[in-house]
Amino acid sequence: MARTKGYPAPLEEKLKDTRLYSDEENPQFTKTVEKISMTIPHMCYQCGTCTASCPSAPRSSYRIRKFVRRALLGLEMEALNDPDLWLCTTCYSCTDRCPRDIAPTDVIMAMRNLAFKRDIVPVNFLKTVTAIYSSGHGVPNNDVNRAAREKLGLPRDPPTTHGYPEFIKGIQYILDYYELKKNADRIIKEREG
Amino acid sequence: MHEYAFYLGCIAPNRYPGSESASYRTAEKLGIKLLDLKGASCCPAPGAFGSIDLNIWYAMAARNLVLAEQMKKDIALICNGCYKSIWEVNHKLKHNDELRDGVNEVLKGIDMEFKGTIDVFHLAELFYDPEICGVKKIRDSVTVPLTGTRIAVHYGCHLMKPKKERHFGTTEAPTWIEEMVAALGAEPVEYRNKMLCCGAGGGVRGYDIVHSLDITNEKMIALQEAKVDALTEVCPFCQLQFDRGQIEIQEKFGVTYNLPVLHYCELLGLAQGMSPQELALDLHGISCEPFLQKVL
Repeated sequence: MARTKGYPAPLEEKLKDTRLYSDEENPQFTKTVEKISMTIPHMCYQCGTCTASCPSAPRSSYRIRKFVRRALLGLEMEALNDPDLWLCTTCYSCTDRCPRDIAPTDVIMAMRNLAFKRDIVPVNFLKTVTAIYSSGHGVPNNDVNRAAREKLGLPRDPPTTHGYPEFIKGIQYILDYYELKKNADRIIKEREG
Repeated sequence: MHEYAFYLGCIAPNRYPGSESASYRTAEKLGIKLLDLKGASCCPAPGAFGSIDLNIWYAMAARNLVLAEQMKKDIALICNGCYKSIWEVNHKLKHNDELRDGVNEVLKGIDMEFKGTIDVFHLAELFYDPEICGVKKIRDSVTVPLTGTRIAVHYGCHLMKPKKERHFGTTEAPTWIEEMVAALGAEPVEYRNKMLCCGAGGGVRGYDIVHSLDITNEKMIALQEAKVDALTEVCPFCQLQFDRGQIEIQEKFGVTYNLPVLHYCELLGLAQGMSPQELALDLHGISCEPFLQKVL
């Protein structure tokens, strides 16, 4: 029976064949992940304490242990194309319990960074970026809340970038420095038209 | 009086302004003055930004830290997500020259420099610290004890985990917030899976809302079994996930809990005699009325 996870077709094919081929391995991937994550996935002995501690594991096919294995074997495309990569809530339970002192959560974060470089990223992450670019806030103020704030004796807009919008320029400078807004707009447009 | 730059974040001022209001007033009664941190932005959201590019996350958080450095004040904040960004980036940049140089290269363009001259604290940890405030002082400030109520604590993730980078001790069964709940006259209640994530973090709430709510629902089931009158937390994002999340759980799963969810500062405000109106409890998705009837 067909899986309904919605994996990309090449990954679907790959997962049917569980053998490991040397041309699928990219040793540089292991090194890059270790550099970005500042942790040591190559020390993993696959005990599975991470998956057992994971709040996402019981309700999905996401297995943190599998991602750490992929980091170790250099299975770059298999890791980055797997939609489960985005199901980590970053709760750090695996990190606190890992007997090998690895931070699997940070391995996931590093892989997400590398996925973004290839435009692999869910749109909701990019929408947070565009909200912050325009207002400085990921969750901006609204009129109902302004009225409530006034009743509490607080200024209608908090003393953040909302109350001092002149500070937004600095935020836009940082995001433009990394061309993040440009890339976010481009990817959102490609996905949503 | 201890003075701190009050880093607000997004969800407290823009969705639960009662928490902001309560923080100013309760802290002041306990000898902590919270000053405006003008021009602060989103921390930025560690799940969303950290997933896209950690370097951008460092630079954006550093901008907020520099604002406090310019005030020459340590930061106090009331959100675990903000703590992850602001505390952790401060810590990393202080101890990693390569990262700090990279960040300062960017900040140069807006005439800023990260110097590493301040520290970052969660307001809850300041309340608990006997050198700043302490449980006894909290107990002495109570005028409306929450006697006869059963309250569960949700610690959230990013305040105390990962434990080897933090300084809070055990992350398997902590009890320090329970001590602060007991100080208000309420009965702190243990429940199954207390340290389980709320389900919102890491961008999962936006990526797969049903998956995210299913984690929340698992906690709600455990809380219902423990027969609690309210849930308290120290993170507005967890608060949003439990409070608005209960409405979404009702829509998507057809299960109703109606469990009031209050930030610890709101709870402390009530115990210090603030009215529900002064705490804007009417903005909560789940009515706090059944809980208030037991207290007031």
